[in-house]
Amino acid sequence: MKPAPFDYVAPVTLADAIAHLEQHGDEARPLAGGQSLVPMMAARLARPAVIVDLNRIVGLSGIAVQREAVRIGAMTRQGAALSSAELRAALPLLTEALAEVGHPATRARGTVGGSLAHADPAAELPAAMVALEATLTITGPRGERRVPADKFFAGAFETAVGGGEVLTEIQVPVNPGEGHAFLEIARRKGDFAVISAAVRLRLAEDGRCSLARVVLGGVAATPVRCAAVEERLLGERSTPALLVDAAARIPMSSIELHSHHASRVYRRHVAPVLVRRALALAVERAGAVRLGTEVP
Amino acid sequence: MKRHAVSLTVNGRASEISVEPRQSLAEALRTELNLTGTHLGCEHGVCGACTVLVGGEPIRGCLMFAVQAQGLEITTIEGLSGEGLTPLQESFRQHHALQCGFCTPGMVLTIHALLARDPAAGGDAIREAIAGNLCRCTGYQPIVEAALAVSAGAGRGVAQEPVKRKGEDDGATRASS
Amino acid sequence: MIGARIPRVEDARFLRGEGRYVADIRLPFAVEAYLVRSPHAHARLRTIDPQAALSLPGVETIVTGADLPADLPPIPCRIPTHGDLEPFLQYPLARGVVRYVGEPVAVIVARDRATAEDAADLLVVDYDPLPAVASAEAARAPGAPQLFPAGNVAAEWGFDIGKVDAALAGAAAVVRESFTVQRHTGVPLETRGLLAFYDGARRVLEIHGPTKVPHTNRATLAAMLRMPHAEIRMIEPDVGGSFGVRGEFYPEDFLIPWLALRLRKPVRWIEDRVEHFAAINHSRESRFDVTAAADASGRLLAFDVRLVSDLGAYIRTHGAVVPSHASASFPGPYRIRNYRVQASAILTNKTPSGTLRAPGMFEANFARERAIDLLARKLGLSPVEFRRRNLIGPGEMPWFVGTESVRRPTVFDSGDFPDIFARTLAELGWDEAPARKSEGSIRRGRGLAALVEPSALGPFEGGRVEVDADGNVDVVTGATSQGQGHETTLAQVVAEVLGVPIERIRVRHGDTALIPYGGGTYASRAAVMAGASLFEAAQKVRTRALRVASEKLEVAETDLELRDGRVEVIGVPGRGMALGAIARMLSPGNPELLRPPTDAVIADHEGLAAIAYVRAVPSGTSVFAVHAAEVAVDVETGQIQVERYVVGCDIGRALNPMIVEGQIVGGVVQGIGGTLLEELAYDEFGQLQAATLADYLLPSVNEVPAITALVFERVRSATNPLGVKGVGEVGPSGVAAAIGNAVANALSGARISSLPITPERVLAAAAERDPP
Repeated sequence: MKPAPFDYVAPVTLADAIAHLEQHGDEARPLAGGQSLVPMMAARLARPAVIVDLNRIVGLSGIAVQREAVRIGAMTRQGAALSSAELRAALPLLTEALAEVGHPATRARGTVGGSLAHADPAAELPAAMVALEATLTITGPRGERRVPADKFFAGAFETAVGGGEVLTEIQVPVNPGEGHAFLEIARRKGDFAVISAAVRLRLAEDGRCSLARVVLGGVAATPVRCAAVEERLLGERSTPALLVDAAARIPMSSIELHSHHASRVYRRHVAPVLVRRALALAVERAGAVRLGTEVP
Repeated sequence: MKRHAVSLTVNGRASEISVEPRQSLAEALRTELNLTGTHLGCEHGVCGACTVLVGGEPIRGCLMFAVQAQGLEITTIEGLSGEGLTPLQESFRQHHALQCGFCTPGMVLTIHALLARDPAAGGDAIREAIAGNLCRCTGYQPIVEAALAVSAGAGRGVAQEPVKRKGEDDGATRASS
Repeated sequence: MIGARIPRVEDARFLRGEGRYVADIRLPFAVEAYLVRSPHAHARLRTIDPQAALSLPGVETIVTGADLPADLPPIPCRIPTHGDLEPFLQYPLARGVVRYVGEPVAVIVARDRATAEDAADLLVVDYDPLPAVASAEAARAPGAPQLFPAGNVAAEWGFDIGKVDAALAGAAAVVRESFTVQRHTGVPLETRGLLAFYDGARRVLEIHGPTKVPHTNRATLAAMLRMPHAEIRMIEPDVGGSFGVRGEFYPEDFLIPWLALRLRKPVRWIEDRVEHFAAINHSRESRFDVTAAADASGRLLAFDVRLVSDLGAYIRTHGAVVPSHASASFPGPYRIRNYRVQASAILTNKTPSGTLRAPGMFEANFARERAIDLLARKLGLSPVEFRRRNLIGPGEMPWFVGTESVRRPTVFDSGDFPDIFARTLAELGWDEAPARKSEGSIRRGRGLAALVEPSALGPFEGGRVEVDADGNVDVVTGATSQGQGHETTLAQVVAEVLGVPIERIRVRHGDTALIPYGGGTYASRAAVMAGASLFEAAQKVRTRALRVASEKLEVAETDLELRDGRVEVIGVPGRGMALGAIARMLSPGNPELLRPPTDAVIADHEGLAAIAYVRAVPSGTSVFAVHAAEVAVDVETGQIQVERYVVGCDIGRALNPMIVEGQIVGGVVQGIGGTLLEELAYDEFGQLQAATLADYLLPSVNEVPAITALVFERVRSATNPLGVKGVGEVGPSGVAAAIGNAVANALSGARISSLPITPERVLAAAAERDPP
């Protein structure tokens, strides 16, 4: 399993990287953490003629927690993000999702942006970013553009990043006072998700739900937002029966993925279970946040 | 194909190698520097037999190209001990935490790195650290025990004996994990 | 020394990264071989055009089936079981037809692996796809594509013992169920590899990389190359696990040495992981249709079994051994006199099969123990009580099952099964209910399995012991090592007999130049067979040393003992002589102790050395084992967590308890993989779906429960002087049975009859049991 031959460049500026990518078009691919791309190259499923290594570019990694948003450089290592106490305090949902991504050795090199740009349907971060209503900054020859997460993922392994462009930053709004949950079912811990659920929930003073975001990963080519589930929760006080009823409103026709590890039938069966459990956890945390008690 | 000259530090020594871009770091360590303790078990980043430390952190040596290691500090299994065995390696031996030995360098390096930053790491932390390292022979429990014996010693200054006791009258030996 | 829990002597090199696996060995001017493999499950192989590939710089040569000798025989089936398997053997390179995805069609030799793969991209192979059969059912269907002129059925056989039909007719309880076991394999962490070099000056073809049975492999290669055995040397390096699948004779085991001869340069081949999944022996795929009957008092009356085994596209070296073992051992450790089995071995367009740790046993134990739980439930008896009533008792040993496999009768040589059963359950604190209760969506259950695991099969083993002039002991065994610690356990045997400290003993293994005949390591035979042969050889050395010391010291042999590398006069410290001194005296050319010549030729000494070959008892040894599992099942998601696992077994005698426990614990985890996670899935076109470690799921540390290995040494084996029994396969053997029963019990008797027990199957079984 040796890759097909390729030329290698390691620019130190973003502008140089973009120039290389634009020059070579389809023949070139950017290299971030390599944890997804290199196995594909080893199997010769990907045969770029030119690899543009992004790892030497200064200024593409780092976590800046500002008052209204967290700015995450695309080349931030998943491991660094996971161990960031600041990130955990500001975006506990993202931290919980990061804990499910691979293993420490893959998180040491894998990047936040790389996972998003790779857009594996079974990956955890895309679903989390859609739930978090993140905005992704794409930089190309004609400058920067910002794409909301729910428009970023176009299909399986397909994103809004075009030729000559690089994902450079992710901005995630900070919303204190919310409950969250990221749960996943996988055959083994650390595997790609058979199904994952990213949930945000806010409870008003009277205990009624004032915000809900429910996003499924691993069930379709791109993350699936469950608007009907969210609507059922809004304005209601949480009860076990409500959560079951809400979870029953998952759009089953959106659950399409099928593999010999987990069929479509299985995913459709467990999706309501997972969502119900994620909602219950998010409600519990939302309540704790509101009361100022320890968040479970 | 153009070869690249790469300068890197391996096990504390400055090294110069000449590689094709497509050579992985793990492969280059083996073929260019004769450091064959780093093993190739799958070449798609799943098994962990290729684990090396980059800047003290365990990574998949098969998923990094050697050219990317320019200027970096690499530690392989050969760089861990001088003449003998480190306390962790000796603990592996005492606990029978290896059989065929193929996963062993990756396991040792991974746990070594964990204990370097968390000397009193408990069972959960050890299991989390090695969850990405496959072993087909030992069933993992002796590896966890070997690591715990070192970390528990570090945490409490108490030597941990392997949990093995002979039954009183039934002649059975037990190993519990 | 025997029975001592000492750490392994071989560990330091592995811990330091100084192990020497085949991929670590370098020879100057070596070239790299890469096998081009069929992407089709079934196709006519029309033409191969190597021109474009050959023109790539760095490509040395490309060979196809047409380049091999026209009269080259196929790779033989080496283990006779049932039927005439000759029509179904595999040639090293495909000829005219390919029959499975991964079948080798050509070999590219280049300066390195990457270049060879580049050349493979340029190789033009013209296939004419044919319809494929991807299951035994499809292969037997009327009008099914035939893999061979002789058809798709490789062998059919059976046993008919006692009066099964009468027993079934008179039974109080009868259960009928079909059990399926999925295709899976051993997946050692190191893939295969070979480095072959022909030294024309010494006329030796030297091959690094063989393992398991190098002497047997040498014989096979010698026949295929038409070379004398003595001109082939197979050298086992350090080996990264085998579990039965590495070390058989595969196409590469012919091709790489043949290329070395042809090219007159070292040829290296290192398998990659994707290749491995399509090329290594698969195993276990079978279906058991079981009818089991008991009387009202819970006495087992009969088993009636139909067994269909899917062996893949060719018959390999192991023939139909796997289903043969399954059919012979199905009755298990129970007193049952009516047993009928009809077995068939079917060929399909999938990778060929061979033995895997506990071959046939893992599968048969699953089917039988599940059937027993079903019978017990039907009779209202607990799984424990039902088994207790039917276990063969110590007074009934040796027990002749009435079947045979590999032309050997199935016999349990010794053991007190009820005693081990009771002790294991006592350790577990078994009382039907799991220690932790069910809660919420989590249901807990316990499951049990009892089994007999045969070991020490195979005809013979050889061992050589030599003491040198410094008193160091060189031990050579015909056995091999894939990680089991033989360098330590066998040294312990010799240390015990010779009284030499273990640090002064070195064990070498797996090298055909070091001992002329070797049996090899398989069927958990090394402790028994290698141990016995070295015991005998060491005894001969001991006898010789005592005789020389007695003569030299002028003391009766009965007043001498061997201790710390010396022969000492008992009770007189300091009066004795070192073994090294005796060795010097026994060196050829040393005149001391020689008698004056009585004729022209003086027979000289032969050193302080001895070689011993021992023959095996045909049915080997048998280990009775009890497996017990506790599981937690999430009935909403189908996920299973094994929370506790206990194995109790009587191995007669442990050479090194630490190593015995290691074999059991590691084996249990491998069994968990086969029960819950692993599968070599194929689609209906014969395309392998699990080709990487991302698709083929091995247990990680997270899948491992608390495992207790209870090793009893109660009834020594009478079949060998050490009294040991082989334990290497006890670990995986009962896992599917115990966990299957545990999951079924957690789900209050739901139908768990197919492996692997996936979350999806759990949900289906739970829904069938309690429709929503």
